[in-house]
Amino acid sequence: MAESKSIKEFISILGAANVTTDSSGVTDYSIDGLVPKAVLFPENEEQISEILKVASRESVSVMPVGSGTKRSLGNIPPSLDVLLSTQKLDRVLEHEARDLVATTQSGVTLEGFQNKLGENNQFLSVNPMHQAHGATIGGIIASNASGPLRLRYGTLRELLIGLRVVRADGTVFKGGSKVVKNVAGYDLPKLYVGSLGTLGIITEATLRLYPVPERSETYLVSFTTLEKCAETVMELLKSELVMNSLELLNPLLFNEVTGRIGIELKRKKHALAIRVMNVDKAVSEQMALVKKVCNKARGQGVTVEGESENKLWDEIVNCPWNKSSENLVKLKAGVLITDVARVFSELEELSSQRALILYASSKAGNGIVDITLKGDTADLASTINTLREYCESGKGSLVIEAATPELKSEVDVWGDIGSGLALMKRIKSNFDPAGILNPGRFI
Amino acid sequence: MSSDWKIAFKDKLLAILGPQGVIYKDDELIAYECDALTGHRVKPVFVALPETAEQVSSVVRECYEQNVPYVPRGAGTGLSGGALPTEEGIVISLSRMNKILDIDIPNERVVVEPGVVNVSVTDAVSSSGYYYAPDPSSQIVCTIGGNVAENSGGVHCLKYGVTSNHVLGLEVVLPDGEIIQIGGKTAERPGYDLAGLVVGSEGLLGIVTKVTLRIVRKPETVKTLFATFDRIEDAGASVSGITARGVIPAGMEIMDNLCIRSVEEAIGCGYPVDAGAILLVELDGPEAEVTAQMPIVQSVLKDHNANEIKIARDSNERDLFWKGRKSAFPAMGRISSDYYVQDGVIPRSKLAEVLGKVGELSKKYGLRVANVFHAGDGNLHPLVLYDGNVEDEYHKALELAGDILTVCVDSGGSITGEHGVGHDKKRFLSLMFDESDLDTMNLLRCSFDVKGLCNPGKVFPTPRTCVEPGMKPYKEHPLQKKGLGEMY
Repeated sequence: MAESKSIKEFISILGAANVTTDSSGVTDYSIDGLVPKAVLFPENEEQISEILKVASRESVSVMPVGSGTKRSLGNIPPSLDVLLSTQKLDRVLEHEARDLVATTQSGVTLEGFQNKLGENNQFLSVNPMHQAHGATIGGIIASNASGPLRLRYGTLRELLIGLRVVRADGTVFKGGSKVVKNVAGYDLPKLYVGSLGTLGIITEATLRLYPVPERSETYLVSFTTLEKCAETVMELLKSELVMNSLELLNPLLFNEVTGRIGIELKRKKHALAIRVMNVDKAVSEQMALVKKVCNKARGQGVTVEGESENKLWDEIVNCPWNKSSENLVKLKAGVLITDVARVFSELEELSSQRALILYASSKAGNGIVDITLKGDTADLASTINTLREYCESGKGSLVIEAATPELKSEVDVWGDIGSGLALMKRIKSNFDPAGILNPGRFI
Repeated sequence: MSSDWKIAFKDKLLAILGPQGVIYKDDELIAYECDALTGHRVKPVFVALPETAEQVSSVVRECYEQNVPYVPRGAGTGLSGGALPTEEGIVISLSRMNKILDIDIPNERVVVEPGVVNVSVTDAVSSSGYYYAPDPSSQIVCTIGGNVAENSGGVHCLKYGVTSNHVLGLEVVLPDGEIIQIGGKTAERPGYDLAGLVVGSEGLLGIVTKVTLRIVRKPETVKTLFATFDRIEDAGASVSGITARGVIPAGMEIMDNLCIRSVEEAIGCGYPVDAGAILLVELDGPEAEVTAQMPIVQSVLKDHNANEIKIARDSNERDLFWKGRKSAFPAMGRISSDYYVQDGVIPRSKLAEVLGKVGELSKKYGLRVANVFHAGDGNLHPLVLYDGNVEDEYHKALELAGDILTVCVDSGGSITGEHGVGHDKKRFLSLMFDESDLDTMNLLRCSFDVKGLCNPGKVFPTPRTCVEPGMKPYKEHPLQKKGLGEMY
């Protein structure tokens, strides 16, 4: 059997201590119910290159992961040979604070990276899911994870300025540079943001940073109706406010989040969480304006800052996944800013018709809707199909980010990728002619 | 190739574009011989002037079938020769595709054709309180299509990013003539970030026929100041001093004494002509933020030996400060008959050090170098002054400019920040990228353009061929490697 011969080669490259093959060890890393034959933990780029050379030669499929927090993203793999984790590439290589730039190995956790940058009062301006569960820099790049801060700072696409990658045939290359402005050659870093490990394994990333703002404050405010929420969103967006986050929460998510952090608001309906980070005085002045806009729509709110504010945003991003992820389904819709409220109400109607449990939040200033559902598989499938049709008819999209294998076998994970699909497939086949990197899961 | 193909090809073009859509007379073709890099000229065989994406597609398909190379062109303001025609090739000018198709204020999007002039986008949304952020100095003439090809920057990139940060969707005619839609008005779509690849690809991956842009809300307050210094190194050190204090200005620009004098002579914008250097700083955002940051900036400037600090009193004075900066290139004509613009990038923290080295190079070559640059993002624009009538000065200037790029790359930077590699800097690309990096870029090019007809001969130092999937990759023959033979 080709795999067992290859696994021997992997062991000789990495040493037995860096290859997990025992059944409980590999089961921990299963994907969509499939168990890999081995999990590899290379310690450096050269080892990754050697592994991929073998894998390309022997047609062994390799699923790259960081800590493995987003293994559920993608189609059910047609087969699963080995997982390759970048966890041991765990050094921050360089932080030049004066340039607001840092270079790190890809297996460094976001949390560890932020701690390191914090020593110089700087940070990487993303706050995605799974940070507490060890999400790595490589993983958040490959899955294009960002979070509510994207309203102010954009996504990884705006922040990644250089990288090193091992291609499927073992070739190591670098793209971009270590300066924020650079147009020499193709912008290869962009290709890797959201490429889901299909075009190579990222080993190093150079990222643009921001100074930690002097003060941060969030106004959490509930309205009588979704319409009032939506009107307030549009009012805030067209104002001169510089908000860091503007999150719309459905009643269930709002109540769960406030309950967990011990905030008591009488009204328990749709709500907004509006975050402003700036110099002290600018926060006060802008918050006054935020409240004025919200009061006009009869919002009922509370100001949150300090440790509770951090907890609040952690819960908004991770709830309910941080308690239990069992049988939960996660969807992400990308729609026009002006369609967010319509998608929300369509979603609420579909869920209540089918008695599904629904947690929903939206990065309302970006047109991104994050949806968690729980319920009967057939009901979920029909909900997703209807909702996707609704989103796509408005030139939007709906992607399944996590779901049970049963559901994935009934509904397409990605939806319509559009007229660029054939070109994407050509890129994939040029970069990975043997088709070993995450085959069948994405492009 | 015999010239017979030209007659038949002209008829094809005329059939697609009509008599008004094809330029074929020698005296009219001259206008397309070069872009703003005027030192290199090649006369194209024809110029096609399509008005629709379908026409672009038909022309490209024709080129594909007849193996005719072509060069896309916007306003021709590029400084790296990206729109330099190819021998025995045609130019496809997008200047007639100049309509703004959709203005969607609530969704913060504008959809335009590639021939729309940069500043027209801001003009179209200004009354609603929005603007289009990338603002290259040529913004009153350069087109969005050209900006997309070059990933143009401007003077506000430090805070607001470059073109790629403001392009959400593209319609592209691929080199085989297929029209595809990439991205769109929404912030995210599944699939690879093709828009991110095409932006900045210098017209090598296809022809863009529609662009969806993100517009941003005008800031509540804008405050601009300039500070004068005896030594340009102090101005340079102030820049990283300001960001180190947690302030990200909208823009920071430095001009040295040579620049100041020529600009002052040309337009009289109030710069003190005896200053060693001027640093222009613009802060924008909520009033309270700008008010809080202004004293921080001023104290950093004073710490770095600033002499005079002048804050613009109103928007007229602010415009005047900027007018000086934006006129820096053309104003050079006042002090030198010819100049060559360089576009290297360095880490902000190395500004003082690199400026010193540029000064040494200037002495070594005996040619004056005027420094004007986007200091906030470390993007230098040294202007190498020379006299084209003096024998060999042009080549000396080029050599000096090349040495400056080596200094930039050695400091951890890049050979180009916004002008592109084009024809001009392709021999320097390998200062930054080794064989496997370039090979990876070629894989990408081959995914788009197997025949290599779309703006060939640009960006890459040596021409590379594509292999069909499944074929063995092309390897140089040992004789070729030694330079003893060439493959035909």
